[in-house]
Amino acid sequence: MKRPWTSLIGIVVATTAALVAVFATGSAPKLGLDLQGGVAIVLEPASPVDDGILDQTIEILRSRVDALGVAEPDITRQGGNVIVQIPGVTDRARAREIVGQTAELRFRPVIDIAPGDEPTPPEEDLVESEVVLGDRDGELRYRLAPAELTGEIVSTANARFGITGPSEWAVLVDFTAEGSPLWDDLAARIVGRQLAIVLDGIVQSAPTIQTAQFGGSATISGSFSEREAKDLALVLRFGSLPVELVEQTVQEVSATLGRDALSAGLAAGAIGLLAVSLYLIAYYRLLGVVATSSLAVAGGLLWSLISWLGEAQGLALTLAGATGIIVSIGVAVDSNIVYYERVKDEVRGGRTLRSSSEFAFGRAFSTILKADFASLLGAGMLYLLTVGPVRGFALFLGLATLLDLVVSWFFMRPAVILLARASRDHPTRLGILPSTTEATP
Amino acid sequence: MSVLRQLYRGENDFDIVGKFKIGVSLSALLVLISIASLFGRGLNLGIDFEGGSAFTITGDAGISVADTRDALRPIGLESSKIQVLGGDTLRVQVKDVPDAEREAEIRQTLADHVGTDVTEVSLTSVGPSWGDEITSKAQRALVFFLILVMIYIALRFEPRMAAAAFVAMVHDVIVSVGFYSVFQIEVTPATVIAFLTILGYSLYDTIVVFDRVNENALLLAASGRATYSDMVNLSMNEVMMRSINTSITSLLPVTSMLVVGSFVLGAATLEEFAIALMVGLVAGTYSSIFTAAPVLVALKQRQPRHAERASRTTRSTDDDEIVATVRRDDVTATIKARPRRKRRR
Repeated sequence: MKRPWTSLIGIVVATTAALVAVFATGSAPKLGLDLQGGVAIVLEPASPVDDGILDQTIEILRSRVDALGVAEPDITRQGGNVIVQIPGVTDRARAREIVGQTAELRFRPVIDIAPGDEPTPPEEDLVESEVVLGDRDGELRYRLAPAELTGEIVSTANARFGITGPSEWAVLVDFTAEGSPLWDDLAARIVGRQLAIVLDGIVQSAPTIQTAQFGGSATISGSFSEREAKDLALVLRFGSLPVELVEQTVQEVSATLGRDALSAGLAAGAIGLLAVSLYLIAYYRLLGVVATSSLAVAGGLLWSLISWLGEAQGLALTLAGATGIIVSIGVAVDSNIVYYERVKDEVRGGRTLRSSSEFAFGRAFSTILKADFASLLGAGMLYLLTVGPVRGFALFLGLATLLDLVVSWFFMRPAVILLARASRDHPTRLGILPSTTEATP
Repeated sequence: MSVLRQLYRGENDFDIVGKFKIGVSLSALLVLISIASLFGRGLNLGIDFEGGSAFTITGDAGISVADTRDALRPIGLESSKIQVLGGDTLRVQVKDVPDAEREAEIRQTLADHVGTDVTEVSLTSVGPSWGDEITSKAQRALVFFLILVMIYIALRFEPRMAAAAFVAMVHDVIVSVGFYSVFQIEVTPATVIAFLTILGYSLYDTIVVFDRVNENALLLAASGRATYSDMVNLSMNEVMMRSINTSITSLLPVTSMLVVGSFVLGAATLEEFAIALMVGLVAGTYSSIFTAAPVLVALKQRQPRHAERASRTTRSTDDDEIVATVRRDDVTATIKARPRRKRRR
């Protein structure tokens, strides 16, 4: 190796810079809800649906959960399931209710526009009562009569372009055979007045009824943008959610339990690291110090990476992930051990310490590479094919294994080579004893 | 010279291959016990696989299972599974997923019993079909993992080594699952993760041994006197100190997880991980020596050129000495003279 110092200083500077950047921007690893408390719900569609509909469902769920006002809800699709994670939410029962509810689409005649009135709280928003509700932008407030009809009368609804006038978006609604006469009946009574379409306690639209006879379909026009027209069609078509979701698993973690798990994980990791470091130093002496330092470098890089992933990708560190990291201490240390034992072998074989440290690395790294590759293969497979905690574990194990390769190459190799040069005449400092049987043929 | 001193100086020359019979017999016995237990007693599956709900609450030290059972009697849950973790954390498992009203009732009862607020109650509930889904996904991941790794070893090393590594991994899975069955320890998702980690470890260890065997195999061709099993014996002696040190440094963090998780802070997940990892680590280290290596030797001895060499060289202590000496002179010379050529395959 020509310039061990360059590599060594390079990786130490890079690690320090990464850590400084992390601390300067005040980021820290984002904690999963099992470490800080919160709710995680896995939902499965009651009947098979295509991806598009599942994505729409997620959009609707997202806007509902956003209304809770918690920091970072995470709603994702994994395979055919929807996973809702709401870390740090205090009212966990309410969060579950909001996600799980199948709200009903209601048609309520508008009594008047009442800007000054307090909106009706959700628990008093009943079918048979008069209510005050806001519109989607929260600008207008309507006083509404009891609901006359529900979303059951709608057979389908679609956004259409140019049917009511040039370059205009409108929504075409078709009623069911049973729904059509009910609709006409209502229309005849309130013709000329507004009818509010209400979902989740929000007035989605309040068109004016222009005629008494619709004959099975209605057109809602206005100054809709394409987006608005499509949203309204979606609301009319699916009511609350495009598909009924069934809770598969619920994990509710109280803040106390989360904190306990976090401190247990930290304590276990710290004690484990300390024990490993002491053992390595006792056995390998100065090489043990290198091994401990390379754990520190790997740790620093991992911390920066996790913080950055938490910030940029919303990746949260869970207890399973933390376990993956604790397990990877073993992998990282093993790389050091494979190398050191190889150096010892070469010294016993008659090489000088200096040439052993360089020659052994090629051999040891080839072994490390093969073994790490098998680990990565496993981690990748687990990540792609499993769900939930197993996935988190696989991800962090994989990341730590990759870092092990980086640290072995850029830190362990130059550090040991430099150490070997400096300790030329004192091999015992590296825990290497001269062979006693060297003379016997 | 003591055994430890020999190891430290790298002068160990144990007849490991000679102990294969005992090792393989023990492996076979463990596998048989495991399979018998799996069919006889089955596994103690947690709610994540069977469906159900687990309520967890942390209170003061001195909570007892008996008191909790009494407190749960009025709401008809006295036969639930009740555990105390780390001295102050209570976990109650019920077999079904209660509706909202029932759930609130259970929460309130537990909170009153422990004397904390109802929001301190944590809950995990799992629908009955979910367990099947994660089980089938984990199984699929396992099968793909095994196939890919076998292909990798077959290409990077050779097919016989892939077969030997496969046998070792299957051994580890059966023995670890068997351990859970014999002692009826609850199987949770954490356990599944740990099992998968075990496979990684076992494989890692086996690859390190095989890598050295492969390297020495080239020297075998050069010296022409040692048998394949001599060479495997030599390789295992060479990597022994690594195996011991790696096992110790891997077990240290896991032990710390077990002690902190179960005795000091009562973090159930950590404890579950740690037990499975511990069992697996021991099985993995054992199997790379007493399962993977014997299978490899058995497969290799059937190859004509190795079989012939084995019959020519009768094993005796004298022969061992000679082989080792041949290696020392020959090998170091080879490495010194042609360091590049030796790396070529």
